[in-house]
Amino acid sequence: MAPMEVDRADGRTSNQLRPLSCTRNVLHRAHGSARWSQGDTIVLAAVFGPKAGTKKEENPEKASIEVIWKPKTGLIGKVEKEYEMILKRTLQSVCLLTIHPNTTTSVIVQVVGDDGALLPCAINASCAALADAGIPLKYLAVAICCGLTGSRSVILDPTKIEEKKILAFAYLVFPNSPISVLPKGSLTEDSEPIEAGIITSVTHGAMPVVDYFNCLDRGYAACAKISEFLRRSMESQAPSDLTKTT
Amino acid sequence: MEQRLANTWQMTVNERKFIEMALAADLRVDDRGPFDYRPCTITFGRHKLKYLQFSFTNRVGGSSEVQLGETHVMSYVTSQLVQPYRDRPNEGTLSIFTEFSPMADPAFEAGRPGEFAIELGRIVDRGLRESGAVDMESLCVVVGKLVWSIRVDLHILDNGGNLIDAANIAALASLLTFRRPECTLGGDDNHELIIHDIEDREPLPLIIHHLPVAVTFAVFGEGNIMVIDPSYKEEAVMGGRMTITMNSNGDICAVQKAGIGISSSVIIRCLEICAVKAAEITSKINHANLLDSQMESFNDGRSIQYPNFHPVDVAIQDNLPDVIMNKKQIENLTGHLAALPLDALDRNSNKSGAVVVGTNTRAKFENNQARDGVPFYSPSNWDPYPRKLCSCLARSSLKLSGLPEDVEEDKVNTTQSVKVECGLEHTKGASSSRALETASEYTTVEATSQYIKAPKTLKDAVKIQNRKMRK
Repeated sequence: MAPMEVDRADGRTSNQLRPLSCTRNVLHRAHGSARWSQGDTIVLAAVFGPKAGTKKEENPEKASIEVIWKPKTGLIGKVEKEYEMILKRTLQSVCLLTIHPNTTTSVIVQVVGDDGALLPCAINASCAALADAGIPLKYLAVAICCGLTGSRSVILDPTKIEEKKILAFAYLVFPNSPISVLPKGSLTEDSEPIEAGIITSVTHGAMPVVDYFNCLDRGYAACAKISEFLRRSMESQAPSDLTKTT
Repeated sequence: MEQRLANTWQMTVNERKFIEMALAADLRVDDRGPFDYRPCTITFGRHKLKYLQFSFTNRVGGSSEVQLGETHVMSYVTSQLVQPYRDRPNEGTLSIFTEFSPMADPAFEAGRPGEFAIELGRIVDRGLRESGAVDMESLCVVVGKLVWSIRVDLHILDNGGNLIDAANIAALASLLTFRRPECTLGGDDNHELIIHDIEDREPLPLIIHHLPVAVTFAVFGEGNIMVIDPSYKEEAVMGGRMTITMNSNGDICAVQKAGIGISSSVIIRCLEICAVKAAEITSKINHANLLDSQMESFNDGRSIQYPNFHPVDVAIQDNLPDVIMNKKQIENLTGHLAALPLDALDRNSNKSGAVVVGTNTRAKFENNQARDGVPFYSPSNWDPYPRKLCSCLARSSLKLSGLPEDVEEDKVNTTQSVKVECGLEHTKGASSSRALETASEYTTVEATSQYIKAPKTLKDAVKIQNRKMRK
């Protein structure tokens, strides 16, 4: 089914993301921090490195991750608790938990601006902050929000107004695309894309299965671009000399 | 229990003794004078969500971020229509909520606020509300039935010492930028309340009579050594603290004192100093606010080119630049996406990249305006353990990024300044000519006045005396 051109309020096309921006090491006391913004959605994440001990219900043979979500205003309610849980599960699959057993790594997320796609923005910020803190990770997680409009076309990175109007949307988290060491030629022979599992998928609203798979494909393609951006931002900010003390 | 102790930060005896001895000799560890503030940066963000349906909670929040040295505080103001208190039927309400985020300090715990959090909230509250700084009667809509309730949320993001002053400035700044929608009585029988959408009528600012500024003094020794704006380490060593909230007219709005005793002559001296400092900070806040409103009107004028996408002010952060996708990169992104079997993309339609660049540079330009009169270090050759990049490294990195080499010989360049150049490299590609103009302005301003220093250690303090004699 041929997807139709969607008219979006801010003039973007259905495949355009909002301008991304990532700054790391913004806080002085936190071990790692990052500020990620997608358009008007801005999230500040801070990481405090492995602290001794785990909570009672956690497995002491692995490192545990503690997530604290701070909304912009108001008390912490069920929505925030849900975000904390999703973020925790996502980060647990991203970090290498067996390196520092019986420790707790705290990730604190502060919402600075909310204009749609808040959870993906928070996941991206948390991963950047974890990388900034030097926590051992398997790969970075890259998150995106895909929305399904009434005309059954997929739009990427909807704003808050768009989120209210569309039929359903899905937050998708993929591992960041690896830089392949194989020469380009061999890749083109292989028509299948490199298999990458979905780390997290959270959907809101009902959508047909076919459209969900559409969202997955689009999301995966967009995540490749976001991970390119992430890699570039990390490379450009890597300190050239390592005389910086903590 | 042992684990919690293991995770808390304890000040070593050596550091404590060093700071005390240095203060006894009238020296501060970070080379400030005893009555000098750290460099303060105020950034505003007004969120104009013009396309959102108006509900009872106001969408036009005012927010500000204040960076005072290493301390970082964010403030967010919202409003809501509520029933007034019975004993004050014609006055609105103002409430302050403080959030000591665990990201500021590992000692802060999420959940219940500790006693210092409550104390901070009360000091800011007394200074703002009880001194009558914000006009409450103008917030009344229908006497006895509906009034505006203003809520200020203070988020402490980074604890570098002196949270009270930073939080106070943040609260003031956000109240200044906050706009509430206009509401009138209309309808058939003039009893219906119409809350005008932001698009129909310009939202109104709050009426603020004066700006109460908090100035914190830390007491050391026998109660005779006072310093302003204690840093985190100084706070751990101090014997007591005194906060005076004053406005530029010289009226004392609130005083809070705890710790060892101070003689009355010292207190009077502090009041005199506070008057000077309050005037300085008030002018700083007003200046920053003026710049922000000027840029705001400029942005509104510029929005004519982009009828669909209204440029929105985003709360831009500290002086670390972002790696922003400039227009070219976004075009590449869309170009890549076009390679996929999808509908045709309009490559020239994305103007939001340029807007982001514009507001980013605006904020940074404003930051440089807000700071004044702070002496900066010159990297001396005596330092055997350079923690900062030497100027030649910075110059070579400037060469790489192709920027004009305005780097002065005696400039401080931390690793963060390397990021400055890289960030600019990205923003330089922006197509908007105005953005480019401000970007190059920003280049020269940022290159010539680098105020961000790497956190000082005791090693830097040892050589302070030589520098003072040289001055």
